[in-house]
Amino acid sequence: MRIEKTGEIATAALLISALSGFLLAYQYEVAEPFISATAIETVIPFGAFWRSVHFWSSQAFFLVLILHIWQCTGSMDRFCRHRKGRIHWTVVSLTLPLAMYALFTGYVLRFDGTGQAAGKIAEHLLLNVPIAGSMLDRMLMATSTEGLNRVYTVHILFTALCWGLGTWYHTRRVIVGRKIFLYTLTAVVITGVLIHAPIDLPGQNLHLIKGPWFFLGIQELLRHMAPITAGIIFPMIPLAIVALFPWLRKRSGIYSALAIWSSVYIIATVVTLAR
Amino acid sequence: MTRRSLIKKMLMAIAAALCAWPVIGFIMPVRYRPPRKVLIREKLPKGSFLIEPEFVLFASETGPVAVSRTCTHLGCTVSFDETRKQFICPCHQSMFHWNGKYISGPAQKDLPRFEVKTSEDGKGYVVLI
Repeated sequence: MRIEKTGEIATAALLISALSGFLLAYQYEVAEPFISATAIETVIPFGAFWRSVHFWSSQAFFLVLILHIWQCTGSMDRFCRHRKGRIHWTVVSLTLPLAMYALFTGYVLRFDGTGQAAGKIAEHLLLNVPIAGSMLDRMLMATSTEGLNRVYTVHILFTALCWGLGTWYHTRRVIVGRKIFLYTLTAVVITGVLIHAPIDLPGQNLHLIKGPWFFLGIQELLRHMAPITAGIIFPMIPLAIVALFPWLRKRSGIYSALAIWSSVYIIATVVTLAR
Repeated sequence: MTRRSLIKKMLMAIAAALCAWPVIGFIMPVRYRPPRKVLIREKLPKGSFLIEPEFVLFASETGPVAVSRTCTHLGCTVSFDETRKQFICPCHQSMFHWNGKYISGPAQKDLPRFEVKTSEDGKGYVVLI
Protein backbone atom coordinates (compact mmCIF):
# COMPACT_ATOMS: atom_id res chain seq x y z
CA MET A 1 0.00 0.00 0.00
CA ARG A 2 1.27 3.49 -0.85
CA ILE A 3 2.40 5.91 1.87
CA GLU A 4 -0.30 8.42 0.95
CA LYS A 5 -2.99 5.74 1.31
CA THR A 6 -1.93 4.70 4.83
CA GLY A 7 -1.84 8.38 5.81
CA GLU A 8 -5.35 8.79 4.45
CA ILE A 9 -6.64 5.71 6.30
CA ALA A 10 -5.03 6.92 9.53
CA THR A 11 -6.74 10.32 9.13
CA ALA A 12 -10.09 8.64 8.36
CA ALA A 13 -9.77 6.38 11.42
CA LEU A 14 -8.86 9.38 13.61
CA LEU A 15 -11.87 11.30 12.29
CA ILE A 16 -14.22 8.39 13.08
CA SER A 17 -12.60 7.98 16.51
CA ALA A 18 -13.00 11.70 17.31
CA LEU A 19 -16.63 11.86 16.11
CA SER A 20 -17.68 8.71 17.97
CA GLY A 21 -15.81 10.03 21.02
CA PHE A 22 -17.78 13.29 20.95
CA LEU A 23 -20.97 11.28 20.77
CA LEU A 24 -19.97 9.09 23.75
CA ALA A 25 -19.13 12.25 25.73
CA TYR A 26 -22.87 13.12 25.79
CA GLN A 27 -23.51 10.14 28.09
CA TYR A 28 -20.12 9.67 29.78
CA GLU A 29 -19.83 11.13 33.26
CA VAL A 30 -16.34 11.78 34.54
CA ALA A 31 -17.51 11.81 38.21
CA GLU A 32 -18.96 8.32 37.83
CA PRO A 33 -16.78 6.81 35.13
CA PHE A 34 -17.40 3.09 35.61
CA ILE A 35 -21.15 3.46 36.19
CA SER A 36 -21.57 5.68 33.13
CA ALA A 37 -19.32 3.43 30.97
CA THR A 38 -21.35 0.38 32.05
CA ALA A 39 -24.60 2.23 31.38
CA ILE A 40 -23.38 3.15 27.89
CA GLU A 41 -22.41 -0.49 27.31
CA THR A 42 -25.58 -2.10 28.65
CA VAL A 43 -28.55 0.27 28.99
CA ILE A 44 -28.34 3.23 26.62
CA PRO A 45 -29.58 2.47 23.08
CA PHE A 46 -26.69 2.07 20.60
CA GLY A 47 -24.23 2.65 23.48
CA ALA A 48 -22.36 -0.62 22.98
CA PHE A 49 -22.21 0.06 19.25
CA TRP A 50 -20.73 3.54 19.64
CA ARG A 51 -18.25 2.30 22.27
CA SER A 52 -17.09 -0.38 19.86
CA VAL A 53 -16.80 2.06 16.97
CA HIS A 54 -14.76 4.42 19.17
CA PHE A 55 -12.58 1.59 20.48
CA TRP A 56 -11.82 -0.02 17.11
CA SER A 57 -11.33 3.21 15.17
CA SER A 58 -8.83 4.34 17.83
CA GLN A 59 -6.97 1.02 17.64
CA ALA A 60 -7.01 1.29 13.82
CA PHE A 61 -5.63 4.83 13.93
CA PHE A 62 -2.76 3.81 16.21
CA LEU A 63 -1.81 0.72 14.19
CA VAL A 64 -2.08 2.42 10.80
CA LEU A 65 -0.08 5.38 12.15
CA ILE A 66 2.75 2.99 13.10
CA LEU A 67 2.55 1.41 9.62
CA HIS A 68 2.59 4.88 8.01
CA ILE A 69 5.67 5.93 10.01
CA TRP A 70 7.39 2.65 9.19
CA GLN A 71 6.73 3.17 5.47
CA CYS A 72 8.03 6.74 5.67
CA THR A 73 11.34 5.63 7.19
CA GLY A 74 12.02 3.85 3.87
CA SER A 75 11.65 7.10 1.94
CA MET A 76 13.55 9.19 4.44
CA ASP A 77 15.91 10.70 1.89
CA ARG A 78 12.97 12.03 -0.14
CA PHE A 79 11.40 13.79 2.86
CA CYS A 80 14.38 14.85 4.90
CA ARG A 81 16.98 16.06 2.43
CA HIS A 82 16.96 19.50 4.04
CA ARG A 83 17.00 20.65 7.65
CA LYS A 84 13.42 21.93 7.33
CA GLY A 85 12.24 18.46 6.32
CA ARG A 86 14.04 16.88 9.28
CA ILE A 87 12.42 19.34 11.70
CA HIS A 88 9.04 18.60 10.08
CA TRP A 89 9.58 14.85 10.64
CA THR A 90 10.53 15.30 14.30
CA VAL A 91 7.49 17.51 14.98
CA VAL A 92 5.07 15.16 13.14
CA SER A 93 6.56 12.14 14.94
CA LEU A 94 5.05 13.61 18.14
CA THR A 95 1.73 12.17 16.91
CA LEU A 96 3.01 8.74 17.96
CA PRO A 97 3.38 9.41 21.73
CA LEU A 98 0.25 11.62 21.63
CA ALA A 99 -1.77 8.83 19.98
CA MET A 100 -0.37 6.27 22.39
CA TYR A 101 -1.31 8.39 25.39
CA ALA A 102 -4.79 9.13 24.01
CA LEU A 103 -5.29 5.39 23.45
CA PHE A 104 -3.98 4.57 26.92
CA THR A 105 -6.21 7.15 28.64
CA GLY A 106 -9.15 5.59 26.80
CA TYR A 107 -8.54 2.43 28.85
CA VAL A 108 -8.23 4.47 32.05
CA LEU A 109 -11.47 6.39 31.38
CA ARG A 110 -13.68 3.30 31.35
CA PHE A 111 -12.42 2.82 34.95
CA ASP A 112 -12.99 -0.91 35.27
CA GLY A 113 -10.40 -3.10 37.02
CA THR A 114 -7.89 -2.76 34.17
CA GLY A 115 -8.54 0.97 33.76
CA GLN A 116 -8.14 1.76 37.45
CA ALA A 117 -4.88 -0.20 37.69
CA ALA A 118 -3.55 1.37 34.47
CA GLY A 119 -4.29 4.87 35.80
CA LYS A 120 -2.61 4.25 39.14
CA ILE A 121 0.48 2.70 37.53
CA ALA A 122 0.77 5.58 35.05
CA GLU A 123 0.54 8.13 37.86
CA HIS A 124 3.27 6.39 39.86
CA LEU A 125 5.48 6.09 36.77
CA LEU A 126 5.14 9.81 36.02
CA LEU A 127 5.94 10.65 39.65
CA ASN A 128 9.11 8.56 39.27
CA VAL A 129 10.46 10.88 36.57
CA PRO A 130 13.29 12.90 38.14
CA ILE A 131 12.69 16.67 38.63
CA ALA A 132 9.71 17.06 36.25
CA GLY A 133 7.73 14.10 37.69
CA SER A 134 5.29 16.08 39.80
CA MET A 135 4.63 18.57 37.00
CA LEU A 136 4.06 15.79 34.45
CA ASP A 137 1.66 14.07 36.82
CA ARG A 138 -0.31 17.27 37.43
CA MET A 139 -0.49 17.89 33.68
CA LEU A 140 -1.26 14.39 32.43
CA MET A 141 -2.81 12.24 35.19
CA ALA A 142 -3.27 13.34 38.83
CA THR A 143 -5.93 10.66 39.36
CA SER A 144 -5.26 10.42 43.11
CA THR A 145 -6.17 14.07 43.69
CA GLU A 146 -8.34 15.04 40.74
CA GLY A 147 -10.11 11.81 39.81
CA LEU A 148 -10.41 11.45 36.04
CA ASN A 149 -10.89 15.17 35.27
CA ARG A 150 -7.41 15.69 33.87
CA VAL A 151 -7.22 12.30 32.19
CA TYR A 152 -10.41 13.16 30.30
CA THR A 153 -9.12 16.62 29.38
CA VAL A 154 -5.81 15.22 28.11
CA HIS A 155 -7.59 12.41 26.24
CA ILE A 156 -9.53 14.98 24.20
CA LEU A 157 -6.63 17.45 23.96
CA PHE A 158 -4.16 14.87 22.61
CA THR A 159 -6.69 13.60 20.05
CA ALA A 160 -7.16 17.20 18.88
CA LEU A 161 -3.37 17.69 18.77
CA CYS A 162 -2.98 14.52 16.68
CA TRP A 163 -5.58 15.91 14.29
CA GLY A 164 -3.88 19.30 14.17
CA LEU A 165 -0.41 17.87 13.61
CA GLY A 166 -1.58 15.34 11.03
CA THR A 167 -3.63 17.78 8.96
CA TRP A 168 -2.82 21.44 9.54
CA TYR A 169 0.91 20.94 10.12
CA HIS A 170 1.71 17.76 8.19
CA THR A 171 -0.31 18.00 4.97
CA ARG A 172 -1.70 21.57 5.23
CA ARG A 173 -5.12 20.15 4.38
CA VAL A 174 -7.41 17.28 5.31
CA ILE A 175 -6.64 14.52 2.84
CA VAL A 176 -9.38 11.92 3.21
CA GLY A 177 -11.02 10.69 0.02
CA ARG A 178 -14.69 9.72 0.20
CA LYS A 179 -13.87 6.14 -0.79
CA ILE A 180 -11.16 5.68 1.85
CA PHE A 181 -13.40 7.22 4.50
CA LEU A 182 -16.28 4.89 3.62
CA TYR A 183 -14.03 1.80 3.51
CA THR A 184 -12.52 2.66 6.90
CA LEU A 185 -15.96 3.42 8.36
CA THR A 186 -17.35 0.13 7.04
CA ALA A 187 -14.39 -1.87 8.40
CA VAL A 188 -14.69 -0.21 11.83
CA VAL A 189 -18.48 -0.60 11.99
CA ILE A 190 -18.34 -4.30 11.01
CA THR A 191 -15.57 -4.97 13.56
CA GLY A 192 -17.51 -2.97 16.16
CA VAL A 193 -20.69 -4.96 15.60
CA LEU A 194 -18.86 -8.31 15.66
CA ILE A 195 -16.44 -7.65 18.53
CA HIS A 196 -17.53 -5.56 21.50
CA ALA A 197 -15.15 -3.12 23.14
CA PRO A 198 -13.93 -4.79 26.34
CA ILE A 199 -14.99 -3.81 29.86
CA ASP A 200 -14.21 -5.79 33.04
CA LEU A 201 -17.00 -6.77 35.41
CA PRO A 202 -16.47 -5.82 39.07
CA GLY A 203 -14.30 -8.46 40.80
CA GLN A 204 -13.48 -10.13 37.49
CA ASN A 205 -9.71 -9.86 37.85
CA LEU A 206 -8.95 -9.72 41.56
CA HIS A 207 -5.60 -11.49 41.50
CA LEU A 208 -4.29 -10.82 37.99
CA ILE A 209 -4.88 -7.78 35.82
CA LYS A 210 -3.52 -7.73 32.30
CA GLY A 211 -3.22 -4.17 31.02
CA PRO A 212 -3.95 -2.81 27.53
CA TRP A 213 -2.30 -4.93 24.79
CA PHE A 214 0.37 -2.34 24.04
CA PHE A 215 1.18 -2.02 27.77
CA LEU A 216 1.73 -5.74 28.49
CA GLY A 217 5.47 -5.63 27.80
CA ILE A 218 5.94 -2.71 30.19
CA GLN A 219 3.79 -4.51 32.78
CA GLU A 220 6.15 -7.51 32.66
CA LEU A 221 9.29 -5.37 32.80
CA LEU A 222 7.91 -3.51 35.83
CA ARG A 223 8.00 -6.81 37.71
CA HIS A 224 11.77 -7.03 37.30
CA MET A 225 13.15 -3.52 36.86
CA ALA A 226 12.92 -0.13 38.60
CA PRO A 227 9.80 1.86 37.53
CA ILE A 228 11.88 4.65 35.96
CA THR A 229 13.80 2.14 33.79
CA ALA A 230 10.92 -0.13 32.80
CA GLY A 231 8.14 2.42 32.64
CA ILE A 232 9.82 5.57 31.37
CA ILE A 233 13.27 5.06 29.82
CA PHE A 234 12.59 1.78 28.00
CA PRO A 235 9.38 2.91 26.24
CA MET A 236 11.01 6.23 25.36
CA ILE A 237 13.72 4.51 23.28
CA PRO A 238 11.70 3.79 20.09
CA LEU A 239 9.85 7.13 20.36
CA ALA A 240 13.18 8.97 20.56
CA ILE A 241 14.59 6.91 17.68
CA VAL A 242 11.57 7.70 15.48
CA ALA A 243 11.70 11.41 16.37
CA LEU A 244 15.43 11.67 15.68
CA PHE A 245 15.49 9.30 12.72
CA PRO A 246 16.44 11.80 9.99
CA TRP A 247 19.12 13.36 12.21
CA LEU A 248 20.95 10.05 12.81
CA ARG A 249 23.61 8.92 10.35
CA LYS A 250 23.93 5.11 10.69
CA ARG A 251 20.51 3.94 9.48
CA SER A 252 21.39 0.22 9.62
CA GLY A 253 22.32 0.59 13.31
CA ILE A 254 18.97 2.28 13.97
CA TYR A 255 17.03 -0.58 12.36
CA SER A 256 19.04 -3.09 14.46
CA ALA A 257 18.29 -1.12 17.63
CA LEU A 258 14.57 -1.05 16.78
CA ALA A 259 14.62 -4.77 16.01
CA ILE A 260 16.30 -5.59 19.36
CA TRP A 261 13.89 -3.35 21.25
CA SER A 262 10.87 -4.90 19.49
CA SER A 263 12.12 -8.44 20.21
CA VAL A 264 12.53 -7.69 23.93
CA TYR A 265 9.10 -6.07 24.02
CA ILE A 266 7.36 -8.92 22.20
CA ILE A 267 8.98 -11.52 24.50
CA ALA A 268 7.92 -9.52 27.60
CA THR A 269 4.39 -9.24 26.17
CA VAL A 270 4.18 -12.98 25.53
CA VAL A 271 5.39 -13.71 29.09
CA THR A 272 2.61 -11.49 30.54
CA LEU A 273 0.02 -13.10 28.26
CA ALA A 274 1.12 -16.54 29.45
CA ARG A 275 0.65 -15.65 33.15
CA MET B 1 24.88 31.44 14.16
CA THR B 2 24.93 35.23 14.06
CA ARG B 3 24.53 37.42 17.13
CA ARG B 4 21.21 38.69 15.78
CA SER B 5 19.75 35.20 15.36
CA LEU B 6 21.05 34.16 18.79
CA ILE B 7 19.34 37.15 20.44
CA LYS B 8 16.17 36.39 18.46
CA LYS B 9 16.18 32.77 19.69
CA MET B 10 16.84 33.86 23.28
CA LEU B 11 13.95 36.34 23.12
CA MET B 12 11.68 33.61 21.74
CA ALA B 13 12.72 31.25 24.58
CA ILE B 14 11.94 33.98 27.15
CA ALA B 15 8.57 34.64 25.48
CA ALA B 16 7.79 30.89 25.52
CA ALA B 17 8.72 30.69 29.22
CA LEU B 18 6.52 33.71 29.97
CA CYS B 19 3.60 32.04 28.16
CA ALA B 20 4.19 28.72 29.95
CA TRP B 21 4.34 30.33 33.43
CA PRO B 22 0.61 31.12 33.83
CA VAL B 23 -0.31 27.73 32.33
CA ILE B 24 1.92 25.71 34.67
CA GLY B 25 1.04 28.00 37.59
CA PHE B 26 -2.64 27.21 37.03
CA ILE B 27 -2.20 23.46 36.59
CA MET B 28 0.24 22.68 39.43
CA PRO B 29 -1.60 23.62 42.67
CA VAL B 30 -3.34 20.80 44.53
CA ARG B 31 -6.56 21.93 46.21
CA TYR B 32 -6.53 21.09 49.94
CA ARG B 33 -8.75 18.17 50.78
CA PRO B 34 -9.21 17.28 54.46
CA PRO B 35 -8.75 13.61 55.49
CA ARG B 36 -11.85 11.62 54.69
CA LYS B 37 -13.71 9.72 57.43
CA VAL B 38 -15.12 6.32 56.51
CA LEU B 39 -17.82 5.20 58.96
CA ILE B 40 -18.26 1.47 59.55
CA ARG B 41 -21.63 0.89 61.19
CA GLU B 42 -20.97 -2.49 62.77
CA LYS B 43 -18.74 -4.00 65.44
CA LEU B 44 -16.57 -6.79 64.06
CA PRO B 45 -16.13 -9.96 66.15
CA LYS B 46 -12.48 -10.69 67.06
CA GLY B 47 -10.62 -12.46 64.27
CA SER B 48 -12.98 -11.26 61.54
CA PHE B 49 -12.40 -8.63 58.86
CA LEU B 50 -14.24 -6.30 56.49
CA ILE B 51 -13.07 -5.54 52.94
CA GLU B 52 -13.64 -1.93 51.88
CA PRO B 53 -12.61 -0.35 48.54
CA GLU B 54 -9.64 1.49 50.07
CA PHE B 55 -8.66 -0.67 53.06
CA VAL B 56 -9.34 -3.91 54.90
CA LEU B 57 -10.41 -3.55 58.53
CA PHE B 58 -9.29 -6.38 60.84
CA ALA B 59 -10.60 -6.96 64.35
CA SER B 60 -7.29 -8.26 65.71
CA GLU B 61 -6.45 -9.40 69.25
CA THR B 62 -4.85 -6.03 69.95
CA GLY B 63 -7.70 -3.96 68.48
CA PRO B 64 -8.96 -2.78 65.08
CA VAL B 65 -6.35 -2.46 62.31
CA ALA B 66 -7.08 -0.81 58.93
CA VAL B 67 -4.57 -1.82 56.25
CA SER B 68 -4.45 0.23 53.05
CA ARG B 69 -5.20 -1.56 49.77
CA THR B 70 -2.86 0.69 47.77
CA CYS B 71 0.18 -1.29 46.66
CA THR B 72 3.49 0.34 47.61
CA HIS B 73 4.99 -0.57 44.22
CA LEU B 74 2.87 1.34 41.68
CA GLY B 75 -0.37 2.05 43.47
CA CYS B 76 -2.66 -0.74 42.21
CA THR B 77 -5.47 -1.88 44.50
CA VAL B 78 -4.38 -5.10 46.21
CA SER B 79 -6.82 -7.98 46.69
CA PHE B 80 -7.24 -9.85 49.97
CA ASP B 81 -6.94 -13.64 49.72
CA GLU B 82 -9.23 -14.78 52.52
CA THR B 83 -7.94 -18.37 52.66
CA ARG B 84 -4.25 -17.48 52.87
CA LYS B 85 -4.84 -14.25 54.82
CA GLN B 86 -2.59 -12.38 52.42
CA PHE B 87 -2.79 -9.36 50.17
CA ILE B 88 -1.90 -9.90 46.49
CA CYS B 89 -1.32 -7.15 43.95
CA PRO B 90 -3.06 -8.07 40.68
CA CYS B 91 -0.72 -5.91 38.59
CA HIS B 92 2.76 -7.22 39.47
CA GLN B 93 2.02 -9.91 42.06
CA SER B 94 3.59 -8.35 45.16
CA MET B 95 2.39 -10.13 48.34
CA PHE B 96 1.80 -8.92 51.90
CA HIS B 97 0.70 -10.49 55.22
CA TRP B 98 -2.76 -9.57 56.53
CA ASN B 99 -1.17 -6.89 58.74
CA GLY B 100 0.47 -5.23 55.72
CA LYS B 101 3.98 -6.69 56.20
CA TYR B 102 5.79 -7.17 52.89
CA ILE B 103 6.39 -10.79 51.79
CA SER B 104 7.57 -10.81 48.17
CA GLY B 105 7.45 -9.09 44.77
CA PRO B 106 8.62 -5.75 43.44
CA ALA B 107 6.85 -3.61 46.11
CA GLN B 108 9.63 -3.95 48.76
CA LYS B 109 7.68 -1.90 51.36
CA ASP B 110 4.87 -2.72 53.83
CA LEU B 111 1.32 -1.58 53.13
CA PRO B 112 0.51 1.53 55.17
CA ARG B 113 -2.16 1.57 57.87
CA PHE B 114 -4.94 4.08 58.50
CA GLU B 115 -5.97 5.46 61.87
CA VAL B 116 -9.05 3.70 63.32
CA LYS B 117 -11.27 5.07 66.10
CA THR B 118 -14.41 3.75 67.72
CA SER B 119 -17.46 5.62 66.42
CA GLU B 120 -19.22 8.13 68.71
CA ASP B 121 -22.12 5.78 69.44
CA GLY B 122 -19.66 2.93 70.18
CA LYS B 123 -21.38 0.66 67.68
CA GLY B 124 -18.81 0.83 64.88
CA TYR B 125 -15.56 2.39 63.68
CA VAL B 126 -14.30 5.53 61.99
CA VAL B 127 -11.34 5.10 59.63
CA LEU B 128 -9.38 8.23 58.69
CA ILE B 129 -8.08 8.11 55.12
